[in-house]
Parts: sequence; structure tokens; C-alpha cells
Amino acid sequence: MFKYILGRIGAMLLTLFLVMTLSFWIIRLMPMSIFENPEVSPEIQKKLEDRMHLHEPMAVQYFYFIEGIAVRGDFGTSVKIRPGLDVFEILSTRIPATVVLNAFSLILSIPLGILFGSWAALKRNKWADNIISFWIVICISVPSFVFASLLQYFLTFVWPLFPTLYNAQASNFGAQLYSMILPIIALSLNPIASIARYLRGELIETLSSDFMLLARTKGLTQGEATMKHAFRNSLVPIANTIIPMITGIMGGSLVIEKMFAVNGMGGLLIDSILAGDHFLTVALLIFYSAISLFTILVVDISYGIIDPRIRVGGRA
Amino acid sequence: MKIYDIHQPLPEELSQLPDEKFQVQVREHGFDEIGKSNSAGFYRDALRRLKQNKASVISFWIILTIILLAIIVPNVTGYTYTQQNVSGKNLPPKIPGLERIGIADGTMVLTNRKKDSLSNPKRFPEGSVLAVVKEYKANKVDVVDVKVDYYKYCKIDEGEYHWFGTDYLGRDILTRLFMGARVSLLIAFISVITNVVIGVIYGSVAGYYGGKVDMFLTHFAEVLDGLPYIVVTILFMLLFGSGMFSIILALTVTGWIGTARLTRAQFYRFKGREYVLAARTLGVPDRKLIFRHILPNSIGPLITRAMIAIPGAIFSESFLAYIGLGIKPPEPSIGTLLSVGQSVLLQYPYQTLFPAVLISVLMVAFNLFSNGLRDAMDPTLRGEEG
Repeated sequence: MFKYILGRIGAMLLTLFLVMTLSFWIIRLMPMSIFENPEVSPEIQKKLEDRMHLHEPMAVQYFYFIEGIAVRGDFGTSVKIRPGLDVFEILSTRIPATVVLNAFSLILSIPLGILFGSWAALKRNKWADNIISFWIVICISVPSFVFASLLQYFLTFVWPLFPTLYNAQASNFGAQLYSMILPIIALSLNPIASIARYLRGELIETLSSDFMLLARTKGLTQGEATMKHAFRNSLVPIANTIIPMITGIMGGSLVIEKMFAVNGMGGLLIDSILAGDHFLTVALLIFYSAISLFTILVVDISYGIIDPRIRVGGRA
Repeated sequence: MKIYDIHQPLPEELSQLPDEKFQVQVREHGFDEIGKSNSAGFYRDALRRLKQNKASVISFWIILTIILLAIIVPNVTGYTYTQQNVSGKNLPPKIPGLERIGIADGTMVLTNRKKDSLSNPKRFPEGSVLAVVKEYKANKVDVVDVKVDYYKYCKIDEGEYHWFGTDYLGRDILTRLFMGARVSLLIAFISVITNVVIGVIYGSVAGYYGGKVDMFLTHFAEVLDGLPYIVVTILFMLLFGSGMFSIILALTVTGWIGTARLTRAQFYRFKGREYVLAARTLGVPDRKLIFRHILPNSIGPLITRAMIAIPGAIFSESFLAYIGLGIKPPEPSIGTLLSVGQSVLLQYPYQTLFPAVLISVLMVAFNLFSNGLRDAMDPTLRGEEG
């Protein structure tokens, strides 16, 4: 087990290193000046360039870049959005909102997805199943930002039940959370549907397998057999859907954060891309990778604990 | 069970059975009179199963209709997708025929207008005011909410129609929407085809040669696959710059890995079969073995996979448009229309409505169709929607 976890962490660090390398070279090979600011005097620009080692060869710069991140946790300085401010500081003010949004959406979607999925499977081909399956198709197909637009128009404008935008200045956490309900719902619909769809298929197959028949013949009721045997077996592969789901939620949250003015990393990333603040962009991309890789690592390890067979081959 | 003698008459209760107790057993398909009909091959069989899936058939026709509309509509509306009209900004939808029954009649409610200005023909041209919705006082001035014929209000010529309204530059949304659908569909199809081609070649080589080649290629793909999809796409969009070609490139950076993995697995399944060995013994070269003897086995799963990837590509395109890395304006795509509409959602909801409906219908149709296709190609997977 220890070896498995170590291997997974190693793979994660390797990927992270790859992200850093890729983003460094891609951003630096782009034809651009890092400070396109005519107001900054040439001497100061020279000094700044010295400080950021911009006159050195690319390979040396690359070394400084990696060293800065790995040794000192220094991601550079923002040059356009908040000039002069340390990128890490900007990030640390923005991370909580994103993490709260994504975490709540995950927390909401897993139990709901399991609930709907098993409900549909147990009532297979009855009206409940048909309704749920219909909604599953809709929620999987329609992009989260379309749902967000719908929610925003109907629940804040036509029937003003919720605030239109996220309220970061709210007095307490409850009020903040209240203004975050719509983005959370918009983000959760798709994961709920994908878990439900997967579990439904999985459970239907398990329910008709031989060991269920055996469980019935040894005297368990249908309910007992379902809970003890079918359900557990179907829940294990759910981790398979959770991994792509996490990246899905993160991507969706980029757009949703912008639409609901949540002051998280998504909005910052969009702003920094549009403004061309490349140090900030690189740092954000690395953070995004780190968060998603870390979540995947957690899921992978917990998966390895649940089902020892997985450990041997790794995630397919 | 009771056995009756065929030579004896049946007992009373059986010979008198009423007709409705009998059920005619009909096999709807699968009859094969030897020598009369061709035997059904794999694809004909799959097509037959696909046709039985009503949702898939309907989805297929919806997709076809949207593709045809995307080809035809931008040429017949009478507007071009870049044609601006400064006096007709943000016009609401107006459709001939429907306007008489009150839907899409080009009217809009203007709020907070001074009551005096209603009689001023410069502000409100004759006949433009339809009804006063609400009258109230604000800062001791009489203010009204008024329902106007927005086309007359903007002094648009009689008989000019914008079915889906116009955007903030007075461009016809109907034209732009289907032009955008054209762009989005093109991006989706080209990127998916590219992914399949790269994936097939990569997977074939890895799967066919095996050993060290396979190990190297598989590990390379695995490392690449570990990179978060959003991050890779954004990085490469930054590198290539905005535009249709760069979106396609960005979508292919890691998009081919799934196909490669699938192809490789298929090769491992089939390359050890006797018929392959026989062909090799006869001296068939590697290239021919790969493409003529082994690869055709994987066509079914490959088509299914490609169809499933198409809605994903459409989604990615609009996602990129939302974060400002999409198609270069003034070219439209469904994503750019959506993100532009989103910014004026509360003032002009119709600007979001039409692209939102189109992308939703398109995505649902593609998903249903590819689900049906997968069930048809691989009946053992039926019901197991993973």
C-alpha cells in the first residue's frame, strides 16, 4: 500500500513538473514584451529585467523559474493586473472562494447522484426511472453555463429569490453561502447526472448477476441482498467517474465564477489571460493543475484502499 | 406436465379454448430463408438495431436538420453575419406571421421614460407607442413604463424583420447563430477526425509492435494524459492565438489519447488470432496487416468514440469562448454568441436564449445518437451507460 501511494505521488510530481515546464516554454516563446508599459522608465525596466533574469539565456531562466517555485515557493510578480504584487499573495486571497465553490459542488453531487442513480436502477423501466433517465440526458448534455444563465435569469430576475451575484462582503458565512447557492447548483447538475447514469448502469448489471440470486436463495430478502451485496459492489467503480468529474467541475467553475462574479481563481485566470499577465497566468495554471492532481491523488488512494485489486494495475 | 396423444381427440376443455387465449408469436426480424436473402453482416445488423432506437433516429434527423440549416440559413436571411446597423441595435425578435399572435412581434417595454417625451415625435416616432404599462412619480417627475414597437421606435423600415433580433452592433442574430453553428460544427468535426487519425496511427503502432515501442509510446501518452485538460487547452490556445485553426489544434493536443488507447487494446485482442498468423505466413507486409487485417475490427468502437467526442468538442469550443480565447471576432461561434448574450442577459434575454437552445438541442441530440450508436455497435453494453 505504501509503495502504491509513493508511486502515485511520484507520478503526480512528475506531471506537475511537466506542467511547469510546458507553461514556462510556451509562455516565453510567445512573441511579447513582459512589460508593455511606456510609463515605466527604461532604468526601472532594466532593473526589473535584471531581477527577473530576463537578459539571461532561456535555459538559465528556466532554471531560475523552477528553482524559484521549488525552493522558495516564489511564482514571480504580477505585471499587469496588480503590478508589483507577489503572485502568490494574489492567489492566496482568491483560493478560498474557488475551493468552497468546488468542494460544495462535490459534496452536493455525490450523495444526490447516488440517490438518483440507485432510485432509477431499483425502479427500472417504471415512470420514476424514465423521468430520472430523461433528466440525466438533459443534465449531461446541456453545458453548465447554459444552466447558469437559466438559473440567473429566472431565479434572480423573474422571481428574485436569490442574489444575482456572489456577495463577498456579506456579513457572515451564511449570507455568503446563500449568494453562492446558484453557482453551486449550476456546477452540480452535470456531476449529479453523470454519477447517477453510471451508478444506474452499474447497479442494473449487478442486480441481475448470479451472486444476487445466490443471496436470495440463501434466504436474504430482496432489500437485504440489494443493500449488502449489490449496492456495495456498484459503489466501488464510482471513483472512475469522480476523477473526470473533478476536472469537469474545475473547468465549469472557471466560467461560472465569471458569470456570478465569484472572486475566485477562475475570474482571475480569465482576467490575467485577457490582460496578458503571463506570470500570473502560469502560476494559476500550475495551481489549477496542482489542485486537480491532488484531488485525483486522493481519489486514487482511497480507491486503492476500497478495492485492493486496483493497486496492481493502476487506474486504467 | 401432461402429455396428450396426437392420435386421440383432445379433451373437451382444450379443444374448446376461446380464441383470445391464444397469442400469435411473430418474430419481427431475423428470418433468413436460405438462398433467398443476403445474410446480415455486422454493420447491417448494427444499422437495424440503431433504427429500432427511436431516440437515436429522431436525434439523427435533428442533427441533420441543424447541419442543413447551418449550411442554408446564413445565405438566405438577406443579411451577412458582419453587417452592422447602428440604428438597429439590440432589436427584439420579429417574425412574420407570429407577430400577429403576439409572440416575437418586435415589441419591448421601456422603463423610466419621462411622460412628456411620449408626445415628442423625435423620441417616440408616430405609432411606436403601443401602451403605457405603468405610471409613477420619481423625483417629482411623471415617469412611465411604456410598451413600444421597438422597430418603429428605432425608425427601422417597415417590412424589415430580424427573426431572432439583433445584437449590440445591430447584426442579425439568426444569420450569426447559424453561421456560428457552422463554425462550431466544423471545429468539432475536424478536431474529432484529426484526433481519430492520430490516435489510430499511434495506437496501431503501439499495439502492433508491442514490446519496447509499446512501452515507450504508452508511457508517453500516460504522462501527457495526466496533464489537466483545461490547463493544456488554455496553454496551447495562448500559444497558437485565437482563431478556428488554433482551437482545433488545442483540442487535439491531448484529445487523441483515448482513441490511441482504444486502438491499442483492439490490436492486442486481434493480433494473436490465427487469421493474422496465416496472413503473416503468406508474407503480407506489416503495413497491410495493420490496416487491412487488424484495424477494420476496431471500426465500430472507433466510430462510436468519435461520435461521443463531438459534443465534447462543441462544449470545449464554447468554454474557450467564455474565457476569451475563442474565435476571433467578428467571426461568430455558438460559444461567442452565448458569452456575448450572457453579458446582457437581464436586459435582452433573447440574445442568450437562441444560442442556448441551439447548443442544448445539438448536445442532447449528439449524446442520444451516440448512445444509440454504441448500443447498436455493441449490444452487450446495452443499458450499461458508462
